[in-house]
Parts: sequence; structure tokens; C-alpha cells
Amino acid sequence: MAELAADQHVRYIVTVEKKKDSFESLVMEHIRLNGAYWGLTTLDLLHKLHAVDAAEVVDWIMSCYHPESGGFGGNVGHDPHVLYTLSAVQVLCLFDRLDVLDIDKVADYVAGLQNEDGSFSGDIWGEVDTRFSYIALCTLSLLHRLHKINMQKAVDFVVSCKNLDGGFGAMPGGESHAGQIFCCVGALAITGSLHHIDRDLLGWWLCERQCKDGGLNGRPEKLADVCYSWWVLSSLIMIDRVHWIDKEKLAKFILNCQDKENGGISDRPDNAVDIYHTYFGVAGLSLMEYPGVKPMDPAYALPLDVVNRIFLRK
Amino acid sequence: MEQGDGSAAAAAEQQAGGAEEQQLAEDLLHRFERVLHSDPLIDEVGFLHPTQFNSLGCGQDGDSAPQALELQHGYFWCRDHKLAISAEILPKLYRAARDAYYSSRNAPLPATHLMSHTKALLILCPDMLTAWNSRKMVLLEKYDFTKLKDELQLCALILSYSPKNESTWSHRRWVLKQVAEQHQDMAELVEKESVLVKEIAERSKMNYRAWRHRCWLIPYMTRKQVLDELKKSTRWSELHVADNCCFHYRRSLLLALLDIRENREDSLSWESETYLLWKEELRWNEMLIRCYQGRESLWNHRRFLSQWWIQQLLAVEKTCPSMTSQVDLFIIQEIGLLSECLNDPVDEFEESHVQAELSALYILWISKQVPAVKGKLEERLHSVSIMGLKDVLVRACRPEKMRPWMNLLGLADPSQ
Repeated sequence: MAELAADQHVRYIVTVEKKKDSFESLVMEHIRLNGAYWGLTTLDLLHKLHAVDAAEVVDWIMSCYHPESGGFGGNVGHDPHVLYTLSAVQVLCLFDRLDVLDIDKVADYVAGLQNEDGSFSGDIWGEVDTRFSYIALCTLSLLHRLHKINMQKAVDFVVSCKNLDGGFGAMPGGESHAGQIFCCVGALAITGSLHHIDRDLLGWWLCERQCKDGGLNGRPEKLADVCYSWWVLSSLIMIDRVHWIDKEKLAKFILNCQDKENGGISDRPDNAVDIYHTYFGVAGLSLMEYPGVKPMDPAYALPLDVVNRIFLRK
Repeated sequence: MEQGDGSAAAAAEQQAGGAEEQQLAEDLLHRFERVLHSDPLIDEVGFLHPTQFNSLGCGQDGDSAPQALELQHGYFWCRDHKLAISAEILPKLYRAARDAYYSSRNAPLPATHLMSHTKALLILCPDMLTAWNSRKMVLLEKYDFTKLKDELQLCALILSYSPKNESTWSHRRWVLKQVAEQHQDMAELVEKESVLVKEIAERSKMNYRAWRHRCWLIPYMTRKQVLDELKKSTRWSELHVADNCCFHYRRSLLLALLDIRENREDSLSWESETYLLWKEELRWNEMLIRCYQGRESLWNHRRFLSQWWIQQLLAVEKTCPSMTSQVDLFIIQEIGLLSECLNDPVDEFEESHVQAELSALYILWISKQVPAVKGKLEERLHSVSIMGLKDVLVRACRPEKMRPWMNLLGLADPSQ
């Protein structure tokens, strides 16, 4: 089997930051905080977080902070949104630097976005999505502030997005989608509410995602894509059904998506690499206990030692 | 000293160069915004490679335009509401739009500046959430239906070339919510939205965000509209049998019909109408399954339809038992379909193998989801010489996929 080109991936991540002038990088500016989370978590999984200057990263993260609202923008000068707030909190967790936060202020921002029906808006403009439920619960849990919201209602809303096929969608009645399923299962795992899931039924839907080439897709009739290695696998682990897929074939599929020379992983073999798929490829391998890669927590999407540090230290 | 002067001169020169460059970028932006302003009905944008762009001719200034004009103006071409932008200027144009937006965001300028700059910026980078938010602020100042309609048009323009763009779909829903809060009657708007999604779905297959938008509209629909949507999406589904999204949309419509009982006194006719509709959906789905072999989306649709259908029949039989069990008849029919798929001549085409596997999993699904009929299913399988569910799976499924199915049947080897 092909091997993980770990050194090349590290080099790719460290240098991608410096190529800021192409139009492709320019139009990614607004989600730079997400990019930071993908890149830095990958480095940590590969035991190379020290390749970046922690103080510099933390300073930049805090420059995306909005002290009035308590939320983070995707980059300096951008409006706050939970999507970036979670990434900021996660990156600070990686560096064990939650101390730079006004924790209650950030938690109040997230908690303030809960709606009457238990759902969460992504920002003050009111779009609702089960992704935001996961993000809110994950952020608040990492900050030890889950008591600031109505947890029962939050759980009820997630459960209301369950479909007859056992999967979950973006909203009540939304089509089942592996990414949304990860969010809903993760939200239920974080709140200790996994009993709402029919594990066999959801496990069935999830293991049907494995395609002939060994890769996983996100919905019926779609092509396999490396990012679903994470979404599907982590969900299967949380509901204890990961033995239902062929891990060896999946690992092979991910490894075949590497650019072994210049580093990086793409969505499927022979496509162009990007930081997003590099992260999901390495994270997927981590869930399959690939040698040399740190184990990852399937619910918090952070290395296990980082999550342990947060919950065991307290 | 001398050296100092030299570097100062170089810096000054560089600064002058930078200023000139900046002026050029600002001119480009100005020109771009003028093009957008002069044709508010632009419905398509293309970012063209310079050679492609040049093949369009010298742009709207005409073929005789002198070289200097070409340099200044020749990066945009607009005719018949179609706009082309030369890709070589995109980074420069983007930076100019971004900087103009930032400086107008907090400046005491009329809102038209902000709207013009954000429009330019969002056409280049629709993911710029913050720019969409600035537009929301302006639109909130005073409810203006015409302005909100313009906003829908801008979203439609962006979705025409960026059909999966999350921020644009989200902004569109925000606009619709503003309208819904003012106008009770959403019928016409909902219909237009549905057509928009249909058109986008033609070009962008299995677009989750587009179909999500269509499902999001359902609560705004009347019962009649839900029925019309079902009818209208029939043909579309037939032409796109692999598009699971459209079948999910139909499921959502069917479930909405179960929820909407507009006329309570008329519940008997409601029931028979829904009953007929469901029966027809099952028939239509079977026809498609036979025409298009090995389509996961069609079999998934059948799982959903049959599960509800059997549960209804069981409920009816419980209250009024009859001589011939409708459940039995349905199961005979479904096992018939299964054995047809299993016995399909094995040819070199993979479809028939996939079809057999999907049909086997369908029967397994029913046995798990409606345990009340598991015994009847097994019984019926024996009468067509199949030795139970395990036998079905062994005959039809790829060996590497057997583990979950055996687990589900409680037949897994515990040592594994």
C-alpha cells in the first residue's frame, strides 16, 4: 500500500500560507480562520505543530475577535459568525491558549444565537442549520459553558431533523447528508443524547456510502470524496458501527489522493490538492489508527490529547 | 548620504508607481460598476481567459476603438444582458472592490456607494458574508419591495455561475423572509423560486443547497401548490433518475401533504386522495426501477414509499379486517419484483448486478423497518424458492459488503 507522505504534507501546509497573491487565495481570504484550523490541526496530528510560531498565530486569531459581540470573523475586519468562532476556539485549544479569551463573553455570543425552538442561528441574520447547532454545542462544551443554553431544546431540534432513512439534514425535512449527519451525531454525542439515534438504521445509511473504489461519498449516487472519510467515519465511530465498512480499502483510497511530491491531498485521485482535503484525509487516517498520526476525537474534531487536556484538567 | 538619497528616490518612484497602479485599479472598478449600473438586467457573467475574451472583439466600444481605450475599457464586454470579464484583471479588480468596500463601510457616504461596491465585490467573490451583511443593513432601513426584488435578481445572477454558493442562498432566504413578513401572499414568489431551483438543478446536478432551498419553501406553499409541485417534478425526475435530491423533494412534498389538512370536514376525501397519490407514486417508481437498472435513488425512494404504505395498510386491516389482505398482496408483488431482479440474466453489464443487490437490500430494509411483516416476507420468499433473507443477501450482495447485513440480521459471527 502507498504510504502517508507526512513530511511533504507538513511542507505543503506551511508554505500554502505564503502564496497569497493568486486570485484563488484572494477569494479564500474571508474563511482564513477555517483554513487555519484545517492546517494547524493537520500539523498537530502529524506531530509538527511547533513548525509554526504559536504566539504569532494566537495574535492573529485575536485580531479576528469582535469584543463588542464576543464572536470571531473569518479574517481581520470580517463580521462574526459561529463558523469562525468555533475554529478560533479550536485553534486556541490546540495551543492550550484559551486563557487569552474572555470565555464568558464568547460563550454568551454563541448562547445568544439559540432560537425559541432550540435551533441556532449562524449569526445575527438568522439563518438556521444543524451545522450551527453542532458548532454552538461544541464551542460551549470546549469552554465548559453548556449550562448557558437550553440543552433539552437544542437536542430536540437536532432530533427533529432526523429522516426516515435514519440520517439527518440541514433543517427539519432536509435531505440526509453525511456532513450534516456528523454535525447532528456530534451534537448528540456532546450532550450525551445518542440514545435518540437508531444506530443500526443510521449505520446502514452510513456504510452504504462506501463506493466500489473504497472511498466514501456524502449522499446516494455521488462520487467518493476524501472529505467524507472524516464525516462518515467519525459518525460511525460515535454510534459504534465503524466495523461495518472496509477500512483497508478506504485508507488506500485516501493515500491514492496524495500529491506525494509536493504534498497535500485532493478530493479524489489525480485532482488538485487543497488544505481542506489535506486535513480531512489525515483526520480520516487518524480515525483508522494510521501509524504516526495522533488519534483524533470524533466528536470535537481535535486531537485526543488536546480534548483530554481540556476535560481532564479542569 | 548619497546612498540615502538614492534609496529615497527609489522609494518615491516606487510609491509613484504604486499610486499609478492603484489609480488604474480604481478606474477599472469604476468602469466595472458603470457597466453593472448601465444594465441592471445582466443575467449571466463569464470570467474569460484573455484569448477567449479577445475573440469577443473589442468590446462594446466597437472594433474601431483605439488601443488606449482598449487598455482602459477592454476588460469588460456586455451585450444582450451577458457580461464577460477578462480573467487577467480579476486579482486587481477584486482588491480594488474590496478596498472600496472597506472604506465605504464606515464612511458617511450615501448608501448607494456601499451598494455599488458590495455588488461589484460579491459578483467577484460571492462568499464574502460581510458584504452581504452590509447590504442587509441598508435594505433594513426601509421596506422597499422593488429593492428586495432587485436583490433577488442579484442573487439569481450569482447563482447562475456559482450555483452552490452558500452565502448567496442564505441571503436569498433572508430577502424572502423580509417579504413574507410584509406580504401574506407568497404564492407567486414561491412559484418563481421553485422555477429558479429547477433551472439551476438542470445545470448543477445533485446540488444540495439548491434543493434545500426548494424544501425550505414548502411551508410557504398551499396544498394546491404542493400538489402542483409534485406533478411538475414528475417529468424532471424521469429525466434525472440518478438525482436523489429531486426524489427527496418529492418525499418532502408527500409528507407535507400528510400534514396539511386544510379542510377538516373533508377528511374522507383527503384520505382517499392521499391514498391514490401514494399508490400512483409506487406504481410510477416501479416503472422507473424497471426502466433504469441499478439506480440507488429509485430504490431509496421505494424504501420510503413502501414503509409508509405497509404501515397504513396494517393500520387499516387492524380496524377493518377483510377477506383478502392488502398487505399480503403488496408483499407478493414486492417479492415478485425482487425475484425478477435476482433472476435477471447475468450479462456483462454491471447494472444488473447492482440492481439485484439493491433489490435485496430493499427487502432487508422492509423487514427491519416494519418487523410486523418479517414473517410474511420470509414465507413468501420460500414460495419462490429463496431460503430466507440470508439467502437473498448471499445471492445478491458483494462479499466484501456482507458484514453489516449479517449484523443487521443478527447473523454475524460473534468471533469477528
